[in-house]
Amino acid sequence: MKFSKLALSSLLLIALVFFLVACNNSASTDQDSNDESDTSSDNGEQAEEGSEEEPVTIVYARGVDTTPGTDAVIKAFEEKFPHIKVEQREMPADTGQSHDQYVTLLSSQSSEIDVFNADVIWPAEFAQANYVLELDRFIERDGINMEDYFPGTVAAANFNGKQWAMPQYTDAGVFYYRTDIVDEPPATWDELIEMSNELKGEGGTEYGYLMQAAQYEGLITNAIEFIASYGGEVVDENNNVVVNSPETIKALEKMKEIVTSDFVPENILNFMEIETENAWIEGNAVFARNWPYMMSSSNDEERSEIVDNVEMARLPAGDEGTAAALGGWMTMINRYSEHPEAAWEFVKFISGPEGQKITAVEGGRAPTLSALYDDPEVQGVSSLFANPEFREVLQSAVPRPVSPIYPEVSDIMQIEISKVLTGDQTSEEAAKNMQEKIEAAMAE
Amino acid sequence: MNKRGGIEFYLFLIIFVFLVMFPFIWVFLTSIKPPREIFSSFSWFTSNPTLASYEAALTNRPLVRYMINSFVVSSLTTILALVFASFTAYAVTRLPIKGKGLILGLVLAASMFPQIAIISPMFSLVTGLGLRNSYMGLVIPYITISLPLAIWILATFFKKIPFELEESAKLDGASPFQTFRKIILPLAAPGIFTTGILVFIAAWNEYLFALTINSDDLWRTVPVGISMYQSQYSIPWGDISAATVIVTIPIVILVLFFQKRIVSGLTSGSVKE
Amino acid sequence: MKNKKSRSFQLSEKQLGYAMVIPSLILVIVVVLWPVAQSFYNSLFDYRLNDPSRSQLMLSATIDLERYVDNHFYIGGQLDSLADGAENEEDAEKVKEIQQDIENYHSEMISDEALKVKVEEIDELLANFTPVRDSELKYSKLDNEFAQEYQQALEAHAAALTKIAESSNNEQSAQQFQQTSDLLTSTASNILNSNFIGLDNYGKYMKDQRMWKAMGNTVFFTVISVAFELVLGLAIALLINRAFIGRGLIRATVLIPWAIPTAVAAMMWGFLYDGQSGIIAHYLEALNIIPESSWLLTTSDGGMFSIILADVWKTTPYMALLLLAGLQTIPQSLYEASSVDGANKFQQFWSITLPLLKSSILVALLFRTLDAFRVFDLIYVLTGGGPANATESISVYAYKTLFAQQNFGEGSVLSVIVFISVAIISLVYVKLIGSDLFEGRTK
Repeated sequence: MKFSKLALSSLLLIALVFFLVACNNSASTDQDSNDESDTSSDNGEQAEEGSEEEPVTIVYARGVDTTPGTDAVIKAFEEKFPHIKVEQREMPADTGQSHDQYVTLLSSQSSEIDVFNADVIWPAEFAQANYVLELDRFIERDGINMEDYFPGTVAAANFNGKQWAMPQYTDAGVFYYRTDIVDEPPATWDELIEMSNELKGEGGTEYGYLMQAAQYEGLITNAIEFIASYGGEVVDENNNVVVNSPETIKALEKMKEIVTSDFVPENILNFMEIETENAWIEGNAVFARNWPYMMSSSNDEERSEIVDNVEMARLPAGDEGTAAALGGWMTMINRYSEHPEAAWEFVKFISGPEGQKITAVEGGRAPTLSALYDDPEVQGVSSLFANPEFREVLQSAVPRPVSPIYPEVSDIMQIEISKVLTGDQTSEEAAKNMQEKIEAAMAE
Repeated sequence: MNKRGGIEFYLFLIIFVFLVMFPFIWVFLTSIKPPREIFSSFSWFTSNPTLASYEAALTNRPLVRYMINSFVVSSLTTILALVFASFTAYAVTRLPIKGKGLILGLVLAASMFPQIAIISPMFSLVTGLGLRNSYMGLVIPYITISLPLAIWILATFFKKIPFELEESAKLDGASPFQTFRKIILPLAAPGIFTTGILVFIAAWNEYLFALTINSDDLWRTVPVGISMYQSQYSIPWGDISAATVIVTIPIVILVLFFQKRIVSGLTSGSVKE
Repeated sequence: MKNKKSRSFQLSEKQLGYAMVIPSLILVIVVVLWPVAQSFYNSLFDYRLNDPSRSQLMLSATIDLERYVDNHFYIGGQLDSLADGAENEEDAEKVKEIQQDIENYHSEMISDEALKVKVEEIDELLANFTPVRDSELKYSKLDNEFAQEYQQALEAHAAALTKIAESSNNEQSAQQFQQTSDLLTSTASNILNSNFIGLDNYGKYMKDQRMWKAMGNTVFFTVISVAFELVLGLAIALLINRAFIGRGLIRATVLIPWAIPTAVAAMMWGFLYDGQSGIIAHYLEALNIIPESSWLLTTSDGGMFSIILADVWKTTPYMALLLLAGLQTIPQSLYEASSVDGANKFQQFWSITLPLLKSSILVALLFRTLDAFRVFDLIYVLTGGGPANATESISVYAYKTLFAQQNFGEGSVLSVIVFISVAIISLVYVKLIGSDLFEGRTK
């Protein structure tokens, strides 16, 4: 019996030792940024960069970046501000997944990260949840002119009259066409349908048109483009739900006509950006809708069958004109950051002309500062940035509804629109359901 | 039962294994194709196989580090979970304690709640303990979620061991703990090794907790690491296939090594009723 | 006669027994059951992180001191300047009355010593532009009645000021009045009512079509996939339990599907099912098993089929391993004896293997069912719940509500619903497994 007790306690002891060893293991990496005293946030004058400032480390979280852009911009920042060290934290590339990671982290009021990249659809939600710092005070103090930025990108980060994020790089839906098959892109959706029917099969293609119609966030960007091109809106500037309109119904009808036509792949309902890109660079289609990044993959000798045969244009127009959905990323500061002043310094740098130029040149990201498109170095990155049409697309890009409950709005729209495309309901029903459900969600 | 099968048996076996393995075989074949062939054809073999994907998989991300992390986390989880679970299972099946049903029920209740719903509290708990980005930060949750299964399986095993053996050990003057160690554990070896494999692989596979708790690249485990190969709009299939093949091999070796123990124990041991 | 000896033995065995159980119980309770209890509690509240008036669990009225102190700071000044700039005596009188009233409420509120200390502390923090981190400091409980009165008073005053603004012809002063009115409205919204709603959330979900659809999907998925896994798993277990050359290798290879992380396996299946370049979709179409290669991921039935196939592929090895371990405990002698009696393989299977394997089968089924009912990773990565929500499981729905929408009250309700369903299923299994496991050494 004595022996058994001994054995038992020794086993427990072993287990305990395991715990302790591992705890020690972690402690070293875990506390990187705690002890610095809170020199920051005293606001105002003393923010001038001085060499005697205490060194601080801030943590910058962002989605996976396969380009050298982020590293380069951090390096440039650290050279300019030697007392601030920037550590990177990678988040999943998937927008939804990284959103959920940030929610877990920020809702526990963790100060682990200081600065993070936010999708254009997050600012209102994160502002309302009190996760991020309002930047107006900083913007005013440092005299940053928000009018230098594309209006859509600023509007997307503005909620309740305050600015919650700085635009970092932008994205907008664009239209691709094969120059070896057509000379001129279609001007309207009807022309697109006509031309796709006619041209599919030519030049080794199988399909006329590619777009994103799976049930996910990308469906909303595609739908918004249709709706806006017919003059419809989901939520107006006074925060009223106005989605149930003849314009929306007409737009959804057109979208359905295209999705159910035989010039798109049969599995278009499973298409996201990745599927679009794969089919496109295989040379399978005449036209496609995607984000600007597909230009460089189209010209990638390693993978693409259609090098030098691709050009981009604005999306086809509806009754009201053409519209491109706004994408891209913002930079925000964690409300519970222990170094807001240093964090702001970093945000200011990467969203300013200097930082944006580096991310454009090294990472191929589209700047949000209109003036940068005149810079010859930026223009040299790709024909896209030199293309005046592209700047125009960005200038007029339409943001998705700015609402603190955007995820819920998006979820409702995804389901209702998806049901139209699968033929489970009519466009009228969808418009009515969206109206009712979004109104109910907002009223709750 | 010990007959050797004929040709038909082996033929059947080969077809069966092929079907089971097909997705994995396809992943392997994909991993040695050059990138532009991956989506363009259904042909099985590429004319110019390349190891470029393997090189990319190992250099683009610290895959070896992920494997070490996963290996340490899963091993610690397995050892500790087996210790805790075999204690509990032994006490519940062989010792005269009260509330056995309640204990087993409580333990089972722990695996009834959707794991996604305890991520937030778990995150706060681990943060509170200062265990973010460490091995223990994952081991503690993993042990806990694998305990129910481990305890229940071991309990069914311990239950099957004849009481006569224990009684005779007792008559020889062995203490209950000695009985447990010298009689029960060796006899239940197949159960323990089976449970070990199950717990190990479950810990190796876990994704959500690992993603949330260890956010620093140095501490990431294999499933999270592999998902990090993709960027916002592209999935590099070549790299991911290569990485999947690389991380699966050690598991296969491990199972090959341990599966011998699964079939020893009871059948080969001294127990014949 | 050996009574004495066995008694002391009993006692120490008992102690040992409890000592052996305690570590597991502590872990399970602290790490899992405590969060579960919290979720139950959360589910009784209208609790949303992205709504400042509901981002706390409040059993009684509460005040958001950070915002209140900030607003209150401006009220005095604004009202003063309103009184000075009022066009007529009547308005000035009214403004003074409002100011007095608000001051009365405010001093009544901070007559509570603890609250006063908090207010001062926050005042200081705000003056330094420091966000209030500590929620103990940020929120304070109020008496329900007082809170309601104060809130109503603020709202009434706001309405009065709006009225003055509307009737004024001087545009500038009208704007000032309106601004102050807005400030009062916003202050009123800093007083938060209790968001305890009891079982209302449950009532809502009982009538929620989407919940029932998700529940139906989950049940369908669980029943079909677990049934296939059991049959196939048992077959594989019997197969690899045989002695043949190379069985070690076979055992290891059939486990491969299970050793591929779900998150990776789901991505891999997405690639194999793809309507354009997916090899499995291509072959199934060629074999006429599915109507066309795009059927798999773009139709409701196809989506469900895809998920079940992927799950069966991935988890059958798990089932097989569990059953194989069970087979090992069946003594060889029983088969030998029955062979002598002239029983064939099939009879042996029915009369020996199955009955003796019963508890192993049930335990394996129990755990597989629990896991399948909570299925998340696979669906989330492979279909995201689409197309048109045909593959949304209840865990996926709960996850979307919890994290995408930050609605922790309703998300917890869905989790509790999963818990209850699973508990009922387990109860059935446990009854079937019977007293087998729970009995002590009584024969």
